[in-house]
Amino acid sequence: MNGQPGISLDQAPPVGVPLRFFITAPLFALAAAMLLLWKGPALFSSRWDPAMLGITHLLTLGFMGLVMLGAIMQMLPVVAGTPVHRPERVAAFIYLLATAGIFLLCGGLIFTVPLALKVALPVLGTALLLFAILVVVTLRRSLPQNMTARAMRLAALMLAATTLLGLTLLSNHAFGWWLRTRETLADLHLTWGLLGWAGLLVAGVAYQIVPMFQLTPAYPARLTRWLAPVLFILLLALAPARHSPALWSVLKILLAAGFAVFALTTLWLQTKRRRKLPDVFMNFWRGSMMSLLAAITLWLAAQIVPAIGDTRSYSMLLGVLMIVGFAMSVINGMLYKIVPFLVWFHLQSRRGANGPTVPNVREIMPESRTRRQMWLHFTALVALLAAIVFPVAFVYPSALLFGASNLWLWLNIVAASRTYSRVNAQLGKTGASAG
Amino acid sequence: MKERIVDARWLEPPEPMELTLAALNVLEPDERLRLLIHRMPHMLFPLLKDWGYDHTTHADDDGSYEILIWYKEQVLPIGGPVSS
Repeated sequence: MNGQPGISLDQAPPVGVPLRFFITAPLFALAAAMLLLWKGPALFSSRWDPAMLGITHLLTLGFMGLVMLGAIMQMLPVVAGTPVHRPERVAAFIYLLATAGIFLLCGGLIFTVPLALKVALPVLGTALLLFAILVVVTLRRSLPQNMTARAMRLAALMLAATTLLGLTLLSNHAFGWWLRTRETLADLHLTWGLLGWAGLLVAGVAYQIVPMFQLTPAYPARLTRWLAPVLFILLLALAPARHSPALWSVLKILLAAGFAVFALTTLWLQTKRRRKLPDVFMNFWRGSMMSLLAAITLWLAAQIVPAIGDTRSYSMLLGVLMIVGFAMSVINGMLYKIVPFLVWFHLQSRRGANGPTVPNVREIMPESRTRRQMWLHFTALVALLAAIVFPVAFVYPSALLFGASNLWLWLNIVAASRTYSRVNAQLGKTGASAG
Repeated sequence: MKERIVDARWLEPPEPMELTLAALNVLEPDERLRLLIHRMPHMLFPLLKDWGYDHTTHADDDGSYEILIWYKEQVLPIGGPVSS
Protein backbone atom coordinates (compact mmCIF):
# COMPACT_ATOMS: atom_id res chain seq x y z
CA MET A 1 0.00 0.00 0.00
CA ASN A 2 1.00 3.57 -0.59
CA GLY A 3 3.66 4.77 1.78
CA GLN A 4 3.21 1.80 4.11
CA PRO A 5 6.05 -0.19 5.59
CA GLY A 6 6.14 -3.93 4.84
CA ILE A 7 4.23 -6.02 7.33
CA SER A 8 5.54 -9.28 8.64
CA LEU A 9 3.86 -12.50 7.58
CA ASP A 10 2.48 -13.24 11.03
CA GLN A 11 0.42 -10.03 10.78
CA ALA A 12 -1.54 -11.32 7.80
CA PRO A 13 -4.52 -13.43 8.84
CA PRO A 14 -4.55 -17.11 7.79
CA VAL A 15 -5.83 -17.80 4.26
CA GLY A 16 -8.99 -19.48 5.55
CA VAL A 17 -10.15 -16.20 7.13
CA PRO A 18 -11.01 -14.33 3.92
CA LEU A 19 -11.66 -17.46 1.83
CA ARG A 20 -14.70 -18.49 3.85
CA PHE A 21 -16.31 -15.12 3.12
CA PHE A 22 -15.50 -15.44 -0.60
CA ILE A 23 -16.78 -19.02 -0.90
CA THR A 24 -20.09 -18.20 0.82
CA ALA A 25 -20.88 -14.97 -1.06
CA PRO A 26 -21.69 -16.40 -4.55
CA LEU A 27 -24.08 -18.89 -2.92
CA PHE A 28 -26.28 -15.99 -1.76
CA ALA A 29 -26.33 -14.61 -5.33
CA LEU A 30 -27.19 -18.10 -6.58
CA ALA A 31 -30.07 -18.20 -4.06
CA ALA A 32 -31.29 -14.85 -5.48
CA ALA A 33 -31.29 -16.34 -9.00
CA MET A 34 -33.26 -19.38 -7.83
CA LEU A 35 -35.77 -17.13 -6.12
CA LEU A 36 -36.18 -15.21 -9.36
CA LEU A 37 -36.87 -18.51 -11.16
CA TRP A 38 -39.40 -19.51 -8.50
CA LYS A 39 -41.30 -16.22 -8.28
CA GLY A 40 -41.18 -15.42 -12.01
CA PRO A 41 -42.45 -12.19 -13.63
CA ALA A 42 -44.68 -11.32 -10.62
CA LEU A 43 -41.56 -10.38 -8.68
CA PHE A 44 -41.11 -7.24 -10.76
CA SER A 45 -44.48 -5.80 -9.80
CA SER A 46 -43.04 -3.57 -7.07
CA ARG A 47 -39.68 -2.76 -5.49
CA TRP A 48 -41.44 -2.87 -2.09
CA ASP A 49 -42.56 -6.48 -2.54
CA PRO A 50 -41.05 -8.42 0.45
CA ALA A 51 -39.60 -11.08 -1.88
CA MET A 52 -37.96 -8.29 -3.93
CA LEU A 53 -36.53 -6.82 -0.70
CA GLY A 54 -35.27 -10.33 0.14
CA ILE A 55 -33.56 -10.72 -3.26
CA THR A 56 -32.04 -7.24 -3.00
CA HIS A 57 -30.51 -8.07 0.39
CA LEU A 58 -29.27 -11.47 -0.81
CA LEU A 59 -27.21 -9.46 -3.32
CA THR A 60 -26.25 -6.37 -1.27
CA LEU A 61 -25.53 -8.13 2.03
CA GLY A 62 -25.05 -11.74 0.97
CA PHE A 63 -22.85 -11.20 -2.06
CA MET A 64 -21.48 -7.64 -1.90
CA GLY A 65 -21.36 -7.39 1.90
CA LEU A 66 -19.63 -10.69 2.60
CA VAL A 67 -16.91 -10.17 -0.04
CA MET A 68 -16.29 -6.60 1.15
CA LEU A 69 -16.09 -7.74 4.78
CA GLY A 70 -13.70 -10.59 3.98
CA ALA A 71 -11.49 -8.50 1.69
CA ILE A 72 -11.26 -5.58 4.12
CA MET A 73 -10.39 -7.83 7.06
CA GLN A 74 -7.58 -9.23 4.93
CA MET A 75 -6.40 -5.76 3.92
CA LEU A 76 -6.74 -3.99 7.28
CA PRO A 77 -3.31 -4.86 8.69
CA VAL A 78 -1.67 -3.90 5.38
CA VAL A 79 -3.52 -0.60 5.00
CA ALA A 80 -3.20 0.33 8.68
CA GLY A 81 0.42 -0.88 8.89
CA THR A 82 -0.33 -2.67 12.16
CA PRO A 83 -1.85 -6.08 12.96
CA VAL A 84 -5.48 -6.56 13.91
CA HIS A 85 -5.89 -8.06 17.36
CA ARG A 86 -6.78 -11.78 17.08
CA PRO A 87 -7.76 -11.60 13.38
CA GLU A 88 -8.94 -15.19 13.16
CA ARG A 89 -11.38 -15.02 16.07
CA VAL A 90 -12.75 -11.59 15.14
CA ALA A 91 -13.28 -12.68 11.52
CA ALA A 92 -14.87 -16.00 12.55
CA PHE A 93 -17.25 -14.18 14.90
CA ILE A 94 -18.24 -11.57 12.30
CA TYR A 95 -18.58 -14.25 9.59
CA LEU A 96 -20.87 -16.39 11.74
CA LEU A 97 -23.09 -13.50 12.81
CA ALA A 98 -23.23 -11.91 9.35
CA THR A 99 -24.03 -15.16 7.52
CA ALA A 100 -26.70 -16.18 10.06
CA GLY A 101 -28.14 -12.64 10.06
CA ILE A 102 -28.34 -12.44 6.24
CA PHE A 103 -29.95 -15.87 6.11
CA LEU A 104 -32.56 -14.89 8.73
CA LEU A 105 -33.25 -11.47 7.20
CA CYS A 106 -33.70 -12.71 3.63
CA GLY A 107 -35.57 -15.85 4.68
CA GLY A 108 -37.83 -13.78 6.92
CA LEU A 109 -38.60 -11.31 4.12
CA ILE A 110 -39.11 -13.88 1.36
CA PHE A 111 -41.21 -16.38 3.36
CA THR A 112 -42.84 -13.75 5.67
CA VAL A 113 -41.52 -15.09 8.99
CA PRO A 114 -41.63 -12.22 11.54
CA LEU A 115 -39.74 -14.30 14.14
CA ALA A 116 -36.77 -14.71 11.75
CA LEU A 117 -36.73 -10.93 11.23
CA LYS A 118 -36.81 -10.32 15.00
CA VAL A 119 -33.81 -12.63 15.50
CA ALA A 120 -32.01 -11.14 12.47
CA LEU A 121 -32.23 -7.68 14.02
CA PRO A 122 -29.62 -8.09 16.83
CA VAL A 123 -27.55 -10.71 14.96
CA LEU A 124 -27.01 -8.71 11.77
CA GLY A 125 -26.83 -5.40 13.64
CA THR A 126 -24.01 -6.69 15.87
CA ALA A 127 -22.04 -8.12 12.92
CA LEU A 128 -22.20 -5.00 10.75
CA LEU A 129 -21.72 -2.41 13.50
CA LEU A 130 -18.85 -4.38 15.05
CA PHE A 131 -17.18 -4.56 11.64
CA ALA A 132 -17.68 -0.83 10.97
CA ILE A 133 -16.17 0.04 14.38
CA LEU A 134 -13.23 -2.32 13.74
CA VAL A 135 -12.45 -0.57 10.43
CA VAL A 136 -12.83 2.98 11.77
CA VAL A 137 -10.70 2.28 14.88
CA THR A 138 -7.98 0.22 13.15
CA LEU A 139 -7.51 2.67 10.28
CA ARG A 140 -7.09 5.54 12.74
CA ARG A 141 -3.46 4.36 12.87
CA SER A 142 -2.91 4.63 9.10
CA LEU A 143 -0.71 7.34 7.62
CA PRO A 144 -2.53 10.64 6.92
CA GLN A 145 -1.47 10.64 3.25
CA ASN A 146 -3.05 7.21 2.67
CA MET A 147 -6.16 8.20 0.70
CA THR A 148 -7.38 4.60 0.41
CA ALA A 149 -7.48 4.29 4.22
CA ARG A 150 -9.34 7.60 4.45
CA ALA A 151 -11.99 6.59 1.91
CA MET A 152 -12.31 3.20 3.60
CA ARG A 153 -12.97 4.85 6.99
CA LEU A 154 -15.61 7.14 5.50
CA ALA A 155 -17.20 4.11 3.77
CA ALA A 156 -17.28 2.25 7.11
CA LEU A 157 -19.02 5.23 8.75
CA MET A 158 -21.56 5.11 5.94
CA LEU A 159 -21.98 1.38 6.55
CA ALA A 160 -22.74 2.11 10.22
CA ALA A 161 -25.31 4.77 9.24
CA THR A 162 -26.86 2.45 6.60
CA THR A 163 -27.06 -0.34 9.18
CA LEU A 164 -28.74 1.87 11.80
CA LEU A 165 -31.34 2.95 9.24
CA GLY A 166 -31.77 -0.65 8.11
CA LEU A 167 -32.29 -1.80 11.71
CA THR A 168 -34.96 0.90 12.18
CA LEU A 169 -36.78 -0.24 9.03
CA LEU A 170 -36.39 -3.89 9.96
CA SER A 171 -37.80 -3.40 13.44
CA ASN A 172 -40.74 -1.57 11.85
CA HIS A 173 -41.25 -4.54 9.51
CA ALA A 174 -40.83 -7.19 12.22
CA PHE A 175 -42.84 -5.58 15.03
CA GLY A 176 -45.28 -3.60 12.88
CA TRP A 177 -44.98 -0.28 14.72
CA TRP A 178 -46.07 2.91 13.00
CA LEU A 179 -43.29 4.71 11.09
CA ARG A 180 -44.43 7.82 9.29
CA THR A 181 -41.20 8.44 7.37
CA ARG A 182 -40.68 4.87 6.20
CA GLU A 183 -40.23 5.62 2.50
CA THR A 184 -37.89 8.54 3.16
CA LEU A 185 -35.76 6.42 5.51
CA ALA A 186 -35.73 3.56 3.00
CA ASP A 187 -34.54 5.94 0.27
CA LEU A 188 -31.79 7.26 2.54
CA HIS A 189 -30.89 3.68 3.55
CA LEU A 190 -30.34 2.53 -0.03
CA THR A 191 -28.60 5.76 -1.09
CA TRP A 192 -26.16 5.61 1.84
CA GLY A 193 -25.67 1.87 1.32
CA LEU A 194 -25.02 1.94 -2.42
CA LEU A 195 -23.31 5.32 -2.85
CA GLY A 196 -21.83 5.75 0.64
CA TRP A 197 -20.68 2.31 1.69
CA ALA A 198 -20.19 0.59 -1.69
CA GLY A 199 -19.41 3.72 -3.77
CA LEU A 200 -16.82 5.27 -1.44
CA LEU A 201 -15.21 1.89 -0.85
CA VAL A 202 -14.87 1.15 -4.58
CA ALA A 203 -13.39 4.63 -5.14
CA GLY A 204 -10.90 4.24 -2.28
CA VAL A 205 -9.84 0.79 -3.44
CA ALA A 206 -9.59 2.00 -7.06
CA TYR A 207 -6.97 4.64 -6.11
CA GLN A 208 -4.58 1.76 -5.33
CA ILE A 209 -5.81 -1.15 -7.39
CA VAL A 210 -6.38 0.41 -10.83
CA PRO A 211 -2.85 1.88 -11.22
CA MET A 212 -1.24 -1.17 -9.56
CA PHE A 213 -2.91 -3.98 -11.52
CA GLN A 214 -3.88 -2.24 -14.74
CA LEU A 215 -0.54 -0.37 -14.99
CA THR A 216 -2.23 2.99 -15.55
CA PRO A 217 -1.00 6.40 -14.39
CA ALA A 218 -2.06 7.33 -10.83
CA TYR A 219 -5.42 9.04 -10.19
CA PRO A 220 -5.01 12.85 -10.03
CA ALA A 221 -3.92 13.80 -6.48
CA ARG A 222 -6.67 16.42 -6.20
CA LEU A 223 -9.31 13.78 -6.93
CA THR A 224 -8.01 11.25 -4.39
CA ARG A 225 -7.73 13.99 -1.76
CA TRP A 226 -11.17 15.57 -2.16
CA LEU A 227 -13.61 13.21 -3.85
CA ALA A 228 -14.39 10.82 -0.96
CA PRO A 229 -14.71 13.51 1.78
CA VAL A 230 -16.90 15.73 -0.47
CA LEU A 231 -19.16 12.81 -1.45
CA PHE A 232 -19.37 11.81 2.23
CA ILE A 233 -20.50 15.30 3.28
CA LEU A 234 -23.02 15.48 0.41
CA LEU A 235 -24.45 12.09 1.42
CA LEU A 236 -24.72 13.12 5.07
CA ALA A 237 -26.39 16.41 4.10
CA LEU A 238 -29.18 14.45 2.37
CA ALA A 239 -30.66 13.62 5.79
CA PRO A 240 -31.45 17.17 6.97
CA ALA A 241 -32.15 18.31 3.38
CA ARG A 242 -35.07 15.93 2.85
CA HIS A 243 -37.55 18.68 3.89
CA SER A 244 -36.28 20.98 1.15
CA PRO A 245 -36.88 19.50 -2.34
CA ALA A 246 -34.67 22.13 -4.03
CA LEU A 247 -31.68 21.48 -1.75
CA TRP A 248 -32.28 17.71 -2.01
CA SER A 249 -32.09 17.97 -5.83
CA VAL A 250 -28.93 20.09 -5.76
CA LEU A 251 -27.21 17.61 -3.42
CA LYS A 252 -28.17 14.66 -5.63
CA ILE A 253 -26.95 16.42 -8.78
CA LEU A 254 -23.60 17.11 -7.09
CA LEU A 255 -23.41 13.48 -5.97
CA ALA A 256 -24.14 12.25 -9.49
CA ALA A 257 -21.48 14.62 -10.86
CA GLY A 258 -18.92 13.37 -8.30
CA PHE A 259 -19.48 9.71 -9.16
CA ALA A 260 -19.48 10.53 -12.89
CA VAL A 261 -16.07 12.21 -12.48
CA PHE A 262 -14.78 9.08 -10.72
CA ALA A 263 -16.13 6.70 -13.40
CA LEU A 264 -14.89 8.84 -16.31
CA THR A 265 -11.44 9.28 -14.71
CA THR A 266 -11.15 5.50 -14.26
CA LEU A 267 -12.14 4.84 -17.89
CA TRP A 268 -9.73 7.56 -19.06
CA LEU A 269 -6.87 6.10 -16.99
CA GLN A 270 -7.60 2.67 -18.50
CA THR A 271 -7.01 4.08 -21.98
CA LYS A 272 -3.53 5.17 -20.78
CA ARG A 273 -2.49 1.75 -19.46
CA ARG A 274 0.97 0.51 -20.39
CA ARG A 275 -0.04 -2.95 -21.59
CA LYS A 276 -2.94 -3.00 -24.01
CA LEU A 277 -3.56 -6.74 -23.77
CA PRO A 278 -7.14 -7.88 -23.15
CA ASP A 279 -7.59 -8.46 -19.46
CA VAL A 280 -10.53 -9.96 -17.51
CA PHE A 281 -9.86 -7.83 -14.44
CA MET A 282 -9.78 -4.60 -16.43
CA ASN A 283 -12.96 -5.51 -18.32
CA PHE A 284 -14.82 -6.14 -15.07
CA TRP A 285 -13.79 -2.65 -13.91
CA ARG A 286 -14.73 -1.15 -17.26
CA GLY A 287 -18.17 -2.80 -17.19
CA SER A 288 -18.64 -1.59 -13.64
CA MET A 289 -17.80 2.03 -14.50
CA MET A 290 -20.02 1.95 -17.60
CA SER A 291 -22.92 0.63 -15.49
CA LEU A 292 -22.34 3.44 -13.00
CA LEU A 293 -22.44 5.98 -15.85
CA ALA A 294 -25.59 4.34 -17.28
CA ALA A 295 -27.26 4.57 -13.84
CA ILE A 296 -26.30 8.25 -13.56
CA THR A 297 -27.61 8.95 -17.08
CA LEU A 298 -30.92 7.21 -16.33
CA TRP A 299 -31.27 9.12 -13.05
CA LEU A 300 -30.49 12.41 -14.82
CA ALA A 301 -33.06 11.62 -17.55
CA ALA A 302 -35.70 11.07 -14.86
CA GLN A 303 -34.88 14.48 -13.33
CA ILE A 304 -35.36 16.18 -16.70
CA VAL A 305 -38.39 14.11 -17.79
CA PRO A 306 -40.31 13.19 -14.60
CA ALA A 307 -42.47 10.72 -16.55
CA ILE A 308 -39.44 8.41 -16.78
CA GLY A 309 -39.13 8.36 -12.99
CA ASP A 310 -42.81 7.52 -12.64
CA THR A 311 -42.58 4.29 -14.66
CA ARG A 312 -42.73 0.95 -12.84
CA SER A 313 -39.36 -0.17 -14.15
CA TYR A 314 -37.33 3.01 -13.40
CA SER A 315 -36.20 2.31 -9.82
CA MET A 316 -35.59 -1.38 -10.53
CA LEU A 317 -33.44 -0.54 -13.58
CA LEU A 318 -31.41 1.80 -11.38
CA GLY A 319 -31.12 -0.96 -8.76
CA VAL A 320 -29.88 -3.59 -11.25
CA LEU A 321 -27.41 -1.14 -12.85
CA MET A 322 -26.01 -0.16 -9.43
CA ILE A 323 -26.05 -3.57 -7.71
CA VAL A 324 -25.39 -6.10 -10.49
CA GLY A 325 -23.70 -3.72 -12.97
CA PHE A 326 -21.58 -1.42 -10.82
CA ALA A 327 -20.93 -3.28 -7.55
CA MET A 328 -21.10 -6.98 -8.47
CA SER A 329 -18.95 -6.53 -11.61
CA VAL A 330 -16.12 -4.86 -9.74
CA ILE A 331 -16.35 -7.35 -6.86
CA ASN A 332 -16.36 -10.32 -9.25
CA GLY A 333 -13.22 -8.93 -10.93
CA MET A 334 -11.55 -8.23 -7.60
CA LEU A 335 -12.17 -11.82 -6.46
CA TYR A 336 -10.17 -13.02 -9.47
CA LYS A 337 -7.17 -10.99 -8.27
CA ILE A 338 -7.52 -11.48 -4.51
CA VAL A 339 -8.23 -15.23 -4.34
CA PRO A 340 -5.33 -16.52 -6.52
CA PHE A 341 -2.92 -14.04 -4.94
CA LEU A 342 -3.85 -15.10 -1.39
CA VAL A 343 -3.52 -18.78 -2.28
CA TRP A 344 -0.18 -18.23 -4.01
CA PHE A 345 1.22 -15.93 -1.30
CA HIS A 346 0.30 -18.26 1.56
CA LEU A 347 1.73 -21.25 -0.30
CA GLN A 348 4.96 -19.31 -0.90
CA SER A 349 5.29 -18.51 2.78
CA ARG A 350 4.48 -22.14 3.70
CA ARG A 351 7.10 -23.61 1.37
CA GLY A 352 9.98 -21.61 2.84
CA ALA A 353 13.19 -20.54 1.12
CA ASN A 354 14.29 -23.92 -0.21
CA GLY A 355 10.96 -25.69 -0.59
CA PRO A 356 9.43 -27.09 -3.81
CA THR A 357 7.89 -24.73 -6.35
CA VAL A 358 4.20 -23.89 -6.01
CA PRO A 359 1.63 -23.11 -8.76
CA ASN A 360 1.63 -19.50 -9.99
CA VAL A 361 -1.46 -17.26 -9.99
CA ARG A 362 -2.38 -18.10 -13.58
CA GLU A 363 -2.35 -21.80 -12.77
CA ILE A 364 -4.40 -21.21 -9.60
CA MET A 365 -7.04 -19.16 -11.49
CA PRO A 366 -6.74 -19.83 -15.27
CA GLU A 367 -7.90 -16.94 -17.46
CA SER A 368 -9.80 -19.30 -19.77
CA ARG A 369 -12.25 -19.95 -16.91
CA THR A 370 -12.52 -16.38 -15.65
CA ARG A 371 -13.03 -14.86 -19.12
CA ARG A 372 -16.02 -17.06 -19.93
CA GLN A 373 -17.58 -16.42 -16.53
CA MET A 374 -17.13 -12.68 -17.12
CA TRP A 375 -19.08 -12.81 -20.39
CA LEU A 376 -21.78 -14.82 -18.67
CA HIS A 377 -21.98 -12.16 -15.94
CA PHE A 378 -22.37 -9.29 -18.43
CA THR A 379 -24.89 -11.27 -20.52
CA ALA A 380 -26.87 -11.90 -17.31
CA LEU A 381 -26.74 -8.17 -16.52
CA VAL A 382 -28.24 -7.25 -19.92
CA ALA A 383 -30.85 -10.02 -19.58
CA LEU A 384 -31.84 -8.77 -16.10
CA LEU A 385 -32.30 -5.23 -17.44
CA ALA A 386 -34.45 -6.64 -20.25
CA ALA A 387 -36.44 -8.70 -17.72
CA ILE A 388 -37.44 -5.56 -15.83
CA VAL A 389 -38.86 -3.96 -18.97
CA PHE A 390 -40.26 -7.20 -20.48
CA PRO A 391 -40.72 -9.55 -17.49
CA VAL A 392 -42.67 -12.29 -19.25
CA ALA A 393 -40.12 -12.79 -22.04
CA PHE A 394 -36.87 -12.37 -20.12
CA VAL A 395 -37.32 -13.25 -16.45
CA TYR A 396 -36.53 -16.97 -16.77
CA PRO A 397 -33.55 -16.67 -19.17
CA SER A 398 -32.12 -13.86 -17.03
CA ALA A 399 -32.50 -15.92 -13.83
CA LEU A 400 -30.81 -18.92 -15.47
CA LEU A 401 -27.93 -16.79 -16.80
CA PHE A 402 -27.46 -14.98 -13.48
CA GLY A 403 -27.56 -18.27 -11.58
CA ALA A 404 -25.09 -19.93 -13.97
CA SER A 405 -22.70 -16.96 -13.71
CA ASN A 406 -22.62 -17.09 -9.91
CA LEU A 407 -22.38 -20.88 -9.83
CA TRP A 408 -19.37 -20.64 -12.15
CA LEU A 409 -17.80 -17.93 -9.99
CA TRP A 410 -18.30 -20.15 -6.94
CA LEU A 411 -16.72 -23.14 -8.71
CA ASN A 412 -13.70 -21.02 -9.70
CA ILE A 413 -13.17 -19.90 -6.09
CA VAL A 414 -13.67 -23.43 -4.77
CA ALA A 415 -11.13 -24.76 -7.32
CA ALA A 416 -8.54 -22.21 -6.13
CA SER A 417 -9.10 -23.08 -2.48
CA ARG A 418 -8.81 -26.80 -3.31
CA THR A 419 -5.48 -26.07 -5.00
CA TYR A 420 -4.38 -24.46 -1.74
CA SER A 421 -5.44 -27.50 0.31
CA ARG A 422 -3.78 -29.94 -2.10
CA VAL A 423 -0.43 -28.13 -2.41
CA ASN A 424 -0.43 -27.28 1.30
CA ALA A 425 -0.82 -30.98 2.13
CA GLN A 426 2.05 -31.82 -0.26
CA LEU A 427 4.23 -29.16 1.39
CA GLY A 428 3.40 -30.66 4.78
CA LYS A 429 4.51 -34.08 3.57
CA THR A 430 7.73 -32.67 2.03
CA GLY A 431 8.48 -30.79 5.26
CA ALA A 432 7.83 -33.91 7.36
CA SER A 433 10.04 -36.14 5.17
CA ALA A 434 12.78 -33.46 5.06
CA GLY A 435 12.60 -33.14 8.85
CA MET B 1 30.39 -10.56 -5.99
CA LYS B 2 28.43 -11.82 -9.03
CA GLU B 3 25.04 -10.33 -9.73
CA ARG B 4 21.81 -11.47 -11.36
CA ILE B 5 19.28 -8.92 -12.60
CA VAL B 6 15.51 -9.23 -12.64
CA ASP B 7 13.85 -6.45 -14.64
CA ALA B 8 10.26 -6.42 -13.39
CA ARG B 9 9.41 -2.87 -14.42
CA TRP B 10 5.80 -2.47 -15.59
CA LEU B 11 4.86 -6.06 -15.03
CA GLU B 12 1.49 -6.76 -13.46
CA PRO B 13 1.50 -7.93 -9.81
CA PRO B 14 2.38 -10.50 -8.63
CA GLU B 15 4.63 -11.20 -11.64
CA PRO B 16 7.56 -9.16 -10.20
CA MET B 17 7.35 -11.17 -6.99
CA GLU B 18 7.04 -14.47 -8.88
CA LEU B 19 10.15 -13.67 -10.97
CA THR B 20 12.09 -12.53 -7.90
CA LEU B 21 11.31 -15.66 -5.89
CA ALA B 22 12.13 -17.86 -8.90
CA ALA B 23 15.49 -16.07 -9.27
CA LEU B 24 16.22 -16.46 -5.55
CA ASN B 25 15.65 -20.21 -5.89
CA VAL B 26 18.67 -20.48 -8.21
CA LEU B 27 20.80 -17.77 -6.57
CA GLU B 28 24.21 -19.03 -5.49
CA PRO B 29 25.46 -18.12 -1.99
CA ASP B 30 28.11 -15.77 -3.47
CA GLU B 31 25.62 -14.03 -5.78
CA ARG B 32 23.38 -11.00 -5.32
CA LEU B 33 20.07 -10.24 -7.00
CA ARG B 34 19.27 -6.80 -8.38
CA LEU B 35 15.51 -6.26 -8.79
CA LEU B 36 14.38 -3.37 -11.01
CA ILE B 37 10.76 -2.47 -10.28
CA HIS B 38 8.35 0.44 -10.88
CA ARG B 39 6.88 0.51 -7.34
CA MET B 40 8.03 -0.40 -3.85
CA PRO B 41 7.38 -4.16 -3.41
CA HIS B 42 6.10 -4.06 0.18
CA MET B 43 4.73 -7.60 0.12
CA LEU B 44 8.15 -9.02 -0.85
CA PHE B 45 10.07 -7.76 2.17
CA PRO B 46 8.49 -9.96 4.88
CA LEU B 47 9.15 -13.05 2.73
CA LEU B 48 12.79 -12.02 2.23
CA LYS B 49 13.19 -11.51 5.96
CA ASP B 50 11.63 -14.85 6.85
CA TRP B 51 13.69 -16.67 4.24
CA GLY B 52 16.98 -15.29 5.54
CA TYR B 53 17.70 -12.63 2.90
CA ASP B 54 18.83 -9.08 3.45
CA HIS B 55 18.16 -6.19 1.10
CA THR B 56 18.77 -2.53 0.38
CA THR B 57 16.50 -0.26 -1.63
CA HIS B 58 17.43 2.63 -3.86
CA ALA B 59 14.96 5.05 -5.48
CA ASP B 60 15.95 6.02 -9.04
CA ASP B 61 15.27 9.44 -10.53
CA ASP B 62 12.63 8.05 -12.92
CA GLY B 63 10.46 6.92 -9.97
CA SER B 64 11.46 3.26 -10.16
CA TYR B 65 13.36 1.28 -7.53
CA GLU B 66 16.43 -0.94 -7.39
CA ILE B 67 16.33 -3.59 -4.69
CA LEU B 68 19.58 -5.41 -3.97
CA ILE B 69 19.02 -8.81 -2.32
CA TRP B 70 21.56 -11.24 -0.86
CA TYR B 71 21.52 -14.27 1.42
CA LYS B 72 22.49 -13.40 4.97
CA GLU B 73 25.52 -15.27 6.22
CA GLN B 74 25.34 -17.66 9.13
CA VAL B 75 21.58 -17.90 9.02
CA LEU B 76 20.04 -21.23 9.92
CA PRO B 77 18.26 -22.89 6.96
CA ILE B 78 14.60 -22.01 6.90
CA GLY B 79 12.25 -24.52 5.38
CA GLY B 80 9.48 -25.00 7.87
CA PRO B 81 6.11 -23.33 7.93
CA VAL B 82 6.14 -19.62 8.57
CA SER B 83 2.49 -18.75 8.48
CA SER B 84 -0.55 -20.45 7.11
